[in-house]
Amino acid sequence: MPTADVVVIGAGLSGLSCAAELAERGARVFLAAKGMASTHWTHGGLDVAAPDGAATPRAGARALAARDGHPYAIVQGDLEAAVTAHGGRMRAGGIGLVGSLDTPLVEIPTAIGALRPAALLPDAQAGAREPWGNDGLLLVGIDRYRDAWAPYAARNLAASGWPDGPRDVRAVTVRLDGLDRLRNLNARSLAHLFDDPAWRSRALRAIAAAVPPGTWRIGLPAVLGITTHRQVLADARAALGPSVFESPSLPPSVPGMRLFDVLREAILARGGRVQVGFDVVDVERDDGRIVAIHTEAASRTLRLAADRFVLATGGIGGEGIRAGADGRLDERVFGLAVSAPQRDAWFSDDPLVPHPLEAAGIRTDDELRPLDPSGALALDNVHVIGSALAGMHYLAERCGDGVALASAHRVAAALAAARIAA
Amino acid sequence: MTFHDAATRDFPAFSTDACIKCNVCTTVCPVSRVTDAFPGPKYVGPQAQRFRGPSVHDRSPDHTVDLCSGCGICTRACPAGVLIAETNNRARAAIVEARGTSLRNRLISDTDLLIRLGSNLLAPVANIGLRNRLLRWLAEKVLGIHRRGPLAPFSRTTFRRWWREQRRPTTVPAVPDPGRTVVYFHGCAVNGFEPELGRDAVAVLERNGFAVIVPPQECCGLPFISNGLYEHARRKAQRNLGSLASFARAGYRIVGTSTSCTHALKAEYREMLDLADDDARAVADATWDICELLTDLHDRGELDTGFAPIPERLPYHPPCQLKSHGIGTPAMDLFALVPGLRAVDSDHDCCGAAGTYGLKKERWQIAQDVGAPLFAKVRAAAATGAVRAACDSETCRWQIEQSSGVRTVHPVTILAESYRRADAATDERWRRVV
Repeated sequence: MPTADVVVIGAGLSGLSCAAELAERGARVFLAAKGMASTHWTHGGLDVAAPDGAATPRAGARALAARDGHPYAIVQGDLEAAVTAHGGRMRAGGIGLVGSLDTPLVEIPTAIGALRPAALLPDAQAGAREPWGNDGLLLVGIDRYRDAWAPYAARNLAASGWPDGPRDVRAVTVRLDGLDRLRNLNARSLAHLFDDPAWRSRALRAIAAAVPPGTWRIGLPAVLGITTHRQVLADARAALGPSVFESPSLPPSVPGMRLFDVLREAILARGGRVQVGFDVVDVERDDGRIVAIHTEAASRTLRLAADRFVLATGGIGGEGIRAGADGRLDERVFGLAVSAPQRDAWFSDDPLVPHPLEAAGIRTDDELRPLDPSGALALDNVHVIGSALAGMHYLAERCGDGVALASAHRVAAALAAARIAA
Repeated sequence: MTFHDAATRDFPAFSTDACIKCNVCTTVCPVSRVTDAFPGPKYVGPQAQRFRGPSVHDRSPDHTVDLCSGCGICTRACPAGVLIAETNNRARAAIVEARGTSLRNRLISDTDLLIRLGSNLLAPVANIGLRNRLLRWLAEKVLGIHRRGPLAPFSRTTFRRWWREQRRPTTVPAVPDPGRTVVYFHGCAVNGFEPELGRDAVAVLERNGFAVIVPPQECCGLPFISNGLYEHARRKAQRNLGSLASFARAGYRIVGTSTSCTHALKAEYREMLDLADDDARAVADATWDICELLTDLHDRGELDTGFAPIPERLPYHPPCQLKSHGIGTPAMDLFALVPGLRAVDSDHDCCGAAGTYGLKKERWQIAQDVGAPLFAKVRAAAATGAVRAACDSETCRWQIEQSSGVRTVHPVTILAESYRRADAATDERWRRVV
């Protein structure tokens, strides 16, 4: 059995960040997850808070904190430090994070040509939120790459009524060297091609040659390298202009893969352990505390004992909470009480306008420890972070990343302080 | 992977219905990272599986599944619990059953036969052959074994022969003591190529108060499984189960030094070979990787922690097969007990060798490309003072050693050395006193 002070369950943004910060603060940490999680499906920037009418992430978080039972009511104060620490981790891993909690939320284009409000973005995506002035937007598609259709996105954007948007939106599709010989082109294989300096130089020349006359800002699918991303981005800026930006394509998301890699490396570099692939199958309890969890293994189970456990398994989308046919919602690891609307209120015509079931999750005290339905502490040494928390609509409110980071930071800082005191 | 009921474990293909098409497996596959010829785990697994029946005898619509190296990383990454690698392995076996396979694949899978031919008295001759560039060129042309494929030299004395000559026990002691006696499953690699690792393992176990038994055993059969030769593998497995099950039932733990062999005993006999009877379950439940056993001992406060310092930086590669055990990285936990030893996790997916995969003429380059970043990390560590690397599975060790030029040992070799140094220091102190 590995020796750990804290066991973190879940490998999404909240679990990875919490484990990284605990390791940075000198705790022995073991992260256990049943599989890869949300990072590979998301855009790699930070959705902190963008409810209707919010001008900045900070204002958005303040507005959400005033809503009844929202996680920001507890963790809003941790946001600043959490975002700063996240930016530091990303920078150390070669990825700049542009913007702050006070950066105005601006509409930027998505892979299918919708608009989403964004303030905090990876360096490579930041060009999308610079003022457009008289610039046009040229979306560059890559021939044979099927997960980003520039003409489709351009058509949607042209019809979107983009406020303060570009002068014009156009699409070109370029043929890049050797791609017609490939059978299996995906975001990762393209990103690895961009990691190859010789291929990259030919590709960037071909893209530059496809730019029509006039002033155009260029948007590319998010495939600008994985292992040497910083250099690829620098070369792309030199060839295509300083404001060239990448847009996350359909999953798998290369910016999300970079994020996962940076955080995993941060954990390992500080002596932490990461095990992906094995679900929690048993829990040892003693008088309101968790003594150990057991994860499945090739034979027997792996017993992971610790002083503290952090539940970062996600909500219904991440399978941390599972709905049964009988209308019950189960938190899958500790069997915690799930706060949720009644079964007959589970339905909504539009899943993206605050969906009632999205708010399902675990209610906690101010230390993010789970409560039972009566409001009493359910488990003394368990902390809940990220989308497993009750009371947020992370799609409509665009608050999932901010809540993940702030709750992870709150728990990691408190546990580290308690360790030093002890 | 998520917890599966027995039915899914016994028929991995049933799990493919759970695929949500998220493509995470495609982003972690080391083979599709380096070659366009392999469409990746999702396409040859859950996608192609819709066109295959549940039986191993059904035909496969897509033969690129044969490019899968079997590392298992896809299965572990899958958030939906699909047993992707296991499904693909069975699909390959179905192709082999329908179409047969090459003499080369049969030969390199039959490690026991190779060891009978090449070890002991014939080792000097066989090793000349392995080193001879003309003969290796010929083996590539005639058999398809790549001339630079990582092959370890045959041992002049097999581990089993050494054990016999030492008159060591092969069956339960007169007074049975399952708590303090373990069965050592040495596997073919220790027997024919690395007997010194077996001796180190026995020394470390004995140091910690265990008596060691080495009953009759054969290769675990994993090379046959990887090459889709399930009938051959089943014969090996059944002979091993016949020899080991009585020990398992009597409460003896079965300890191995190869995370590949021990994973075969724990999981693959059941998941690939449909061996799920009481014998197979008893052996699976009794099988331990040696580092897993030693950390378990440490948890109970029973591990001899009198380790002498080994002041060096040690690049450590946790092999794919170890990761499939779901036991963390116990070698890292043990390294932390050795004063001065600074082990660094390679944080790299796969060395590329994948058992016999990296030996094959048509796969060698893929295997090299998969492992290249790892070899570079190991070389960089060596350039700044590291004298060796460590890894728990044999073919991975040979691949890392050959491709990086840095000696690569099993974690237990380091522990045994640390114990020996402690003994030498004690002897030295006594000499001074006397």
